[in-house]
Amino acid sequence: MGGESRVKSQESRVKSLKSEMPEQPVIDMRRLHRFFGSTRAVNDISFEVMKGEVFGYIGPNGAGKTTSMRILATLDIPTYGDALVDGFSVINDPDRVRRRLGFMPDYFGTYADVNCREYLDFFARAYGLRGNERRRALAHVMGFTKLDGLAEKPIRGLSKGMKQRLCLGRSMIHDPSVLILDEPAAGLDPRARIELRQMIRELADNGKTILVSSHILTELAEMCDRVGIIERGELLAVGTVAEIQRGQITHCQIKARVLENVAAVATWLENRGDVESIRVDGQLIRFSHVGESDAQAALLREMILAEFAIAEFGIEQRSLEDVFMHVTRGVVQ
Amino acid sequence: MSSIDSSSSPFASGDPTEISEAVIPKGTLWQMMESGIELGGERLNPILVKEARQALKSKQFVITFTLLLLAGWVWSMLGVALLSPGVYYAPGGRFMLSGYFIILTIPVLVIVPFSAFRSLAAEREDGTFELLSITALSSRQIVTGKLGSAMLQMLVYYSALAPCIAFTYLLRGIDIVTIVFLLFWTLVASVLLSSIGLVVATVSRARHWQVLLSVLLLVGLCFVTFFWTLSFVSLIVDAQATAFDDTDFWLAMAAIMTFCISHAVMFVLIAAAQISFASDNRSTKLRVMLLVQQTLWIGWMAFFWIKFEEEEILYILVSVACLYWAFAGACLMGEAAILSPRVKRSLPQSFLGRMCFTWFNPGSGTGYTFTVANLLTLLLVTIVAGLTAELEGFAAARGGFDWVIFVTLAVAYVIVYLGVARLVTLLLRQLGRVTMLLTFLVTLFLCVIGVALPLFFQAWLEGYSRMSYSIVQMSNWCWTLEEAADGNLLTFSLVPIIIYCSAVVVFFLNLLFAIYEVEQVRLATPERVLQDEREMHPSTDEKRGGSSPWDDLKAT
Ligand SMILES: Nc1ncnc2c1ncn2[C@@H]1O[C@H](COP(=O)(O)OP(=O)(O)O)[C@@H](O)[C@H]1O
Ligand SMILES: [Mg+2]
Repeated sequence: MGGESRVKSQESRVKSLKSEMPEQPVIDMRRLHRFFGSTRAVNDISFEVMKGEVFGYIGPNGAGKTTSMRILATLDIPTYGDALVDGFSVINDPDRVRRRLGFMPDYFGTYADVNCREYLDFFARAYGLRGNERRRALAHVMGFTKLDGLAEKPIRGLSKGMKQRLCLGRSMIHDPSVLILDEPAAGLDPRARIELRQMIRELADNGKTILVSSHILTELAEMCDRVGIIERGELLAVGTVAEIQRGQITHCQIKARVLENVAAVATWLENRGDVESIRVDGQLIRFSHVGESDAQAALLREMILAEFAIAEFGIEQRSLEDVFMHVTRGVVQ
Repeated sequence: MSSIDSSSSPFASGDPTEISEAVIPKGTLWQMMESGIELGGERLNPILVKEARQALKSKQFVITFTLLLLAGWVWSMLGVALLSPGVYYAPGGRFMLSGYFIILTIPVLVIVPFSAFRSLAAEREDGTFELLSITALSSRQIVTGKLGSAMLQMLVYYSALAPCIAFTYLLRGIDIVTIVFLLFWTLVASVLLSSIGLVVATVSRARHWQVLLSVLLLVGLCFVTFFWTLSFVSLIVDAQATAFDDTDFWLAMAAIMTFCISHAVMFVLIAAAQISFASDNRSTKLRVMLLVQQTLWIGWMAFFWIKFEEEEILYILVSVACLYWAFAGACLMGEAAILSPRVKRSLPQSFLGRMCFTWFNPGSGTGYTFTVANLLTLLLVTIVAGLTAELEGFAAARGGFDWVIFVTLAVAYVIVYLGVARLVTLLLRQLGRVTMLLTFLVTLFLCVIGVALPLFFQAWLEGYSRMSYSIVQMSNWCWTLEEAADGNLLTFSLVPIIIYCSAVVVFFLNLLFAIYEVEQVRLATPERVLQDEREMHPSTDEKRGGSSPWDDLKAT
């Protein structure tokens, strides 16, 4: 899919979002709790996902992603709280939620002795699709997930990537408006990952609301409109990736190349209050600076006024990994 | 059934023939047959379609089928060899049929029910059940789909042996009625056992329980099959059996038939309730079914009572019904007393509605009251039937009223034991979660203790050999009822009086603790749900509005 068309469709999506304001969230988690004995797998989680949004759900293993997604998919019930899908409670109206929701679990539920087409056909029938409608759904889904060539292949012989595609196909066979994907990219090779990302983006551009989980932030950063970071059952941060990056980083890594008098520059910097942890590496000086962009501009101006020979001055972006490590505490329960 | 609004589906396009024409080859007869199969397949339960496809590729099915054919063939050879040279002039049908019957019952009564059990249990183990449960299929459709697949498998086995069985008819010595009778009842038994297998599959998801249950089920099935073949083979071999000429025999068969059907339905409903989602109403349908079974039972027994005028029928009527309700009541009392908001949406609102239908709501208190109400109805019917007999001068009328004491005591015992068990479980609820199994075990424990304790106590007082009935045995329902049936209880008139009084006390005490359940009121259905209802069934509102005779009046 071309970059240009993607931008366009995103624009149209934003427009349609704005025109229908004020809008109900499609997924609405309301103070969700789920305890297993003394384990607080999900501990007071609330967030909303709007129509057509891709929401990334990120957290280390055991954080409670699967548990909360299973509740959303009506496979489990919360200890306290509720979750609404398209306005329906997952506790009291699971039947109505189910019609609108496709769930791709982190396991691959399969039957022995069926091939891909029979598998999808079975679920299409189970979702109440009949006759030509079902055939069209099958053709559409197999085309979308590129399973056309594998229709008659027995499921047992599928590779991991093919299985994931089949799973995705199954979860979207009834054309749900909400898709819950639990670690869809786990165990995929880079190429399959990129294909999966494209598929998810395309689904979102077609107006589907998608909740996708992963334990790797970078995997989701590109395709998600917003992300939520969860650890030990608690939501630590919600927002766009940029917002989270900004919100979490009060320190900014700055790299400067000085042509002469490196040591003098270093001591000059050391005497300032807003600069920390200075490292000198040949002509390069790296240090972390506390403050927003205007403070950085002021710093650069002062350095030039102090007549240092600055050849390069730049902010080193913190990697997403750093953000993730910063937000989460790496505690396992 | 189609849950998806076809107009909004991206898969629904204008031309309905575009694909079917491409798939179905030309040629009128073929075309008709193909489209017939297509149409039929669309209406069939999806699980049935899938399992039929799967079965053809499954090893278990192919092996069983091959073995069945092989066994049939071997028996044909062996049987004919044993019978020869008489096979040419003496009728050998009965001998051959008994062999084929044994060959047929093993797959039909053991393998079919067990594979029904396995196929549901395996779905739950493999995680496919979760995927299935979030589709538009209802839990009842899942269970009936599994039952349907079991029946399909059974019919295939039947048809495999059909030629052999036709061959026995040609050998003479056996009539077509016997053959059909055997095959029909074996079929009914297979359906019933399969539905039991499905219930067993839903009992627990824990691995160790699954293993234990599958062993128990398999042993049970073998047991049933053994006695089934034993009794039916003796029927085949016994050429003198003349029961078929008796209308009473067929009446009894019809009665048994209705109970088999109603039980199969009941088991399907139980299994479906077990696998349904938590906020669903899992109880009301079962209670309606209990009521249906009670009505069937009373109906048949009343019919036989009028026909045969035997006093024993009253005893059978009440004893069986009391056992049935003791069992059902012990299970109903295990239900949680908290109604989900979803159930509360459809609670009755009018006073009359609340009086009559509150007892069909899930809950332990309503369950107990429901049981008692049914027992009292049963009692009323029995007493009316008995008294009419006395007044009309039935042959059964002996002028005695022993049966009145027996039936009232039996009902009172059930009310007391269930009521006490419920009070105990209410206490236990204060300590922790009480499951249905626990409630059932508490009831069972009380019933056993009630018999054992007075027996031991009296034996310890008087010595085992000199024991005779005394007032100490009041809680011993077995002995007391036996004495009542024998008409000896009039000398211990205190016993029935105490039992009746305690039944009344226990019942009202329980009613007091059921107040909370009775007081629950209807919750408004959320606007979003109503809106969805209107979108899904837009016609019902319009029709109702349009066809109302008042609309025209208002307009004019
Ligand atoms: N059925 C269960 N019984 C007991 N504990 C569970 C169950 N399911 C999940 N947990 C616990 O809940 C926590 C969250 O698990 P999960 O939601 O699977 O995490 P994630 O998907 O983010 O890796 C873990 O500590 C896990 O051990
Ligand atoms: Mg997980």
